[in-house]
Amino acid sequence: MAEVTTQSQATSSTSYSFREYCEGLNHVEWTRGTKAKQGHFVEILRDIQRRGTLDELVLACRFVSEGAFDPQSGLTGRLGARSQGLWVSEYCGIDYEKVFKPCRTATGSGSEAIELLLENMSPPSSKSDSTNKRPRWTLLDMEDAFGRMARARTSSQKKELFDQWLHELSPLEIKMALRMLGGGSLRIGFETRSVLQAIAAYQESSLDQIRYAHMVTGSVGETARLLFEDRLQDASFSLFRPIAFMLASPVDTVEAIDWSAVRLEEKLDGIRCQIHANADRIELYSRDLNPLTHSFPEIVSTLAKSQNLVGYSFVLDGEVLAFDTPSKKILPFLELQKRLGVKKPTKKLLQDVPVVFVAYDLLVIDEKECFDLPLEQRRAQLVELCSHAGIAYSRDFAVGSSQMCTQAFEQALRHGNEGLMIKQLGSPYAFGQRSQHWQKLKEPEGSLDTIVMYAHAGSGKRGGLYSDFTLGVSVIDDDRFSESYIPIGKAYGGYTNAELARMNKEIKKLIVEKFGPTLSLRPGIVVELEFDSIQVNSRTKAGYTLRFPRFRAIRWDLGPDDVDSLRDVERLAQAKSAIKRPSMDTLGESAPIIMPGE
Amino acid sequence: MISSGGHGIFLQDFGLSLDNSHPKADVVFVSHAHADHLPRNRSCAAICSAPTLAFMRKRGYKGEALVLEWDTPTSLTSIRQHFGLSPSGVHSHSEATITLYPAGHILGSAMIYVESEDGALLYTGDVKTPASPATEGVQWPNHVDELIIEATFGLPIYKWKDTHNIQQEMLTFAQETLDAGETPLFLGYNLGKAQEILHLLQPLKHRKMIHGGGYPYCEIYENAGFTLGEVEPYDRATCEGAILVGPASVLSSGFASNVQRLRIAQCSGWAALGSRRAQNQLDRGFVLSDHLDFFALLEVCDMLKPRKIHITHSPTPDVVAHFLEERGHQAQFLELSMQEEEALDG
Ligand SMILES: [Zn+2]
Repeated sequence: MAEVTTQSQATSSTSYSFREYCEGLNHVEWTRGTKAKQGHFVEILRDIQRRGTLDELVLACRFVSEGAFDPQSGLTGRLGARSQGLWVSEYCGIDYEKVFKPCRTATGSGSEAIELLLENMSPPSSKSDSTNKRPRWTLLDMEDAFGRMARARTSSQKKELFDQWLHELSPLEIKMALRMLGGGSLRIGFETRSVLQAIAAYQESSLDQIRYAHMVTGSVGETARLLFEDRLQDASFSLFRPIAFMLASPVDTVEAIDWSAVRLEEKLDGIRCQIHANADRIELYSRDLNPLTHSFPEIVSTLAKSQNLVGYSFVLDGEVLAFDTPSKKILPFLELQKRLGVKKPTKKLLQDVPVVFVAYDLLVIDEKECFDLPLEQRRAQLVELCSHAGIAYSRDFAVGSSQMCTQAFEQALRHGNEGLMIKQLGSPYAFGQRSQHWQKLKEPEGSLDTIVMYAHAGSGKRGGLYSDFTLGVSVIDDDRFSESYIPIGKAYGGYTNAELARMNKEIKKLIVEKFGPTLSLRPGIVVELEFDSIQVNSRTKAGYTLRFPRFRAIRWDLGPDDVDSLRDVERLAQAKSAIKRPSMDTLGESAPIIMPGE
Repeated sequence: MISSGGHGIFLQDFGLSLDNSHPKADVVFVSHAHADHLPRNRSCAAICSAPTLAFMRKRGYKGEALVLEWDTPTSLTSIRQHFGLSPSGVHSHSEATITLYPAGHILGSAMIYVESEDGALLYTGDVKTPASPATEGVQWPNHVDELIIEATFGLPIYKWKDTHNIQQEMLTFAQETLDAGETPLFLGYNLGKAQEILHLLQPLKHRKMIHGGGYPYCEIYENAGFTLGEVEPYDRATCEGAILVGPASVLSSGFASNVQRLRIAQCSGWAALGSRRAQNQLDRGFVLSDHLDFFALLEVCDMLKPRKIHITHSPTPDVVAHFLEERGHQAQFLELSMQEEEALDG
């Protein structure tokens, strides 16, 4: 147990500063290997333990993983990228459009451009050589500053606060503070999982216990506080705090599976969803733990109407599907997509695309957590609850051989589903993890021959080479377009170093124009692109986007005339929707979804 | 007077092509021996500095070249006569005086200064001021009417630290790595940067190995008086424990992959950018460029006060022009076909 001073904000000159913290994080960034990074982060914590307060230890854990605000606080203090750029430009006396924007393009990061411009272009009165004379903010000062930013209502209030940062913080601090404020990654290669491991090492505590505390509190900072106060046992689940989902790994080899030790379900192609409910309240959460309740009012009202639920409280994991209740047919994902991101669906949309929630796991029932129960016990309780409350749930079944698995797989595809889920008997619900206990067997992906339209200078380890590519399909014979090719997706990875080198050599011959890190290219290189599925996306020119596009092969043997057309894309997308989906009623024992209570 | 495009810059009146062999050029000026500045025609008549010619020979140049001494004005006529061309002043060619000034980019890198009735033109090629340490320094003429200057790092996000400070950090990095029983690998391209790194690390008196592609150039540095220390060509069998230097491409080539623990440092102006840092593979990034930074570029223009400034080799010429215009200069972008090659050197 760490001994930490608990007096409020330290003010002496020896107190630990936000500047030291940022420099420490910089050190973490420049360290290779997770273990070594954790080591440096532990050094930061020890330093704070010596010179700071417990609150500051908590902040050090929060800032690096979750950013400025505790995720449970509901606070956000986002500063628009444009506002940041405009204010920094004004401070440095440069033109936003003519200077700031090209700098942002070159760095690929607004906050990094800001850091570098402040280092090089700050007005003489506040040059970075006087950084040492600037006041030193503590982590508590910074929390306070973030809070004020979150409460600021008007742009001018925000600007006033930001101006104070510009005058008092170092360029590095400002970059880090902006990244924290945005709630995104600090881009130092040190994320939540590593932070939890580091604090476990720091306190010599059990990582499982810490992960559990993180799961139920939904907050790294809160987890750290419980740990530092030696109160980890107080971490308990509470309803309406979403829990990180358990994720499935792709099946390695079907042959390696012991069929007596698994249960199968058809893999439903919907939106992953967690339902928290008690007698007074029902909430839905998405895979990224954001509220979905208002997007699917019919799920809430159906549940609320169930008289059998009185007195129950529970958390269910499952899938929202587009579903036509009269015919009992699952509708294609392309339909469900119309409701994605719609916060307040219109009456017409509710009618056009009806949805249903299908449960497949039970995490909590009547205040009792079930994560650690084996799959079959959770399943038994799930079936009991769903049958009682009239909630649809997935049918699970066993197979005796790989051959039977293949038959079940083909049947799932005929049902219009994605494939199979294979779940290990006896396994717990591994929240927040991509676990081997759940494996997914998916339909083979599609592929298209596409043309390389743009090359983008790589980031990360491919630095210096063009490693990201925008790929297009042909619309040459398409009356709807005047151009020859239109973009269908952006992909990187999936090629060897030698292929990438050759690619970089070949694109040199095809350059039409260069803007910043991007080259526009003449049609010349054909890439066979592999993807998981095709989605409707009305914001793109093609009207479709590919999910998880990646290189299968660079087809040096093909030329621009061999490229697939937008019509081909449309045909592929329609083919999936056109599968004749059976009614659950006609499937009897093999129905992938069981709908009790009717 | 200047025409540019697919064949680089061509000074038609003088039959002189700058860093590229224009089909109509009689003579080609080669500013330095980097691939993107070498004439494509390997047997053209060339003028350049002595080290540049030595490098060019190693890189397969077969033609006849005339070496010009630094800061020594030479008449175009005498140059033309050297190559058996008709003197200037007759036919369509005007007379001019040609002077080379060291450009501080790599050993032998030169600026060409062309004085004629039309005024004084300075073409920098690749230039670094303050000069890179393993070069002849940088020297500017007093009066320039037209300036053609590179702006590879033409944004105010680029400002280099003093090379001496970077050198101290590099020495510390190498020493700490060796002390830990590990092997330091410095990434820098084969001609110029690699030798600069060796030169900067020379105080360590430790055995060094350079990628085979860079080794042949080392003797030219030594001959020019730049000590590089005890340098051998890369040998996989014995490279562990030596200070290693090689181009960034070695990261994917299996170079030194038998070494137990490598610590890798990038040495490039691009190390200034997080996104260009190849973070997963690097232990350090030294912002060591052999091009002038944005602020030095503005200072040079202010000092020379040319009537007209042409910007080359810049992904962001509009930004440079904007700043120059704000400072009362007349500036424009000079488009060259070799632009895209530049990203490889830094
Ligand atoms: Zn060069």
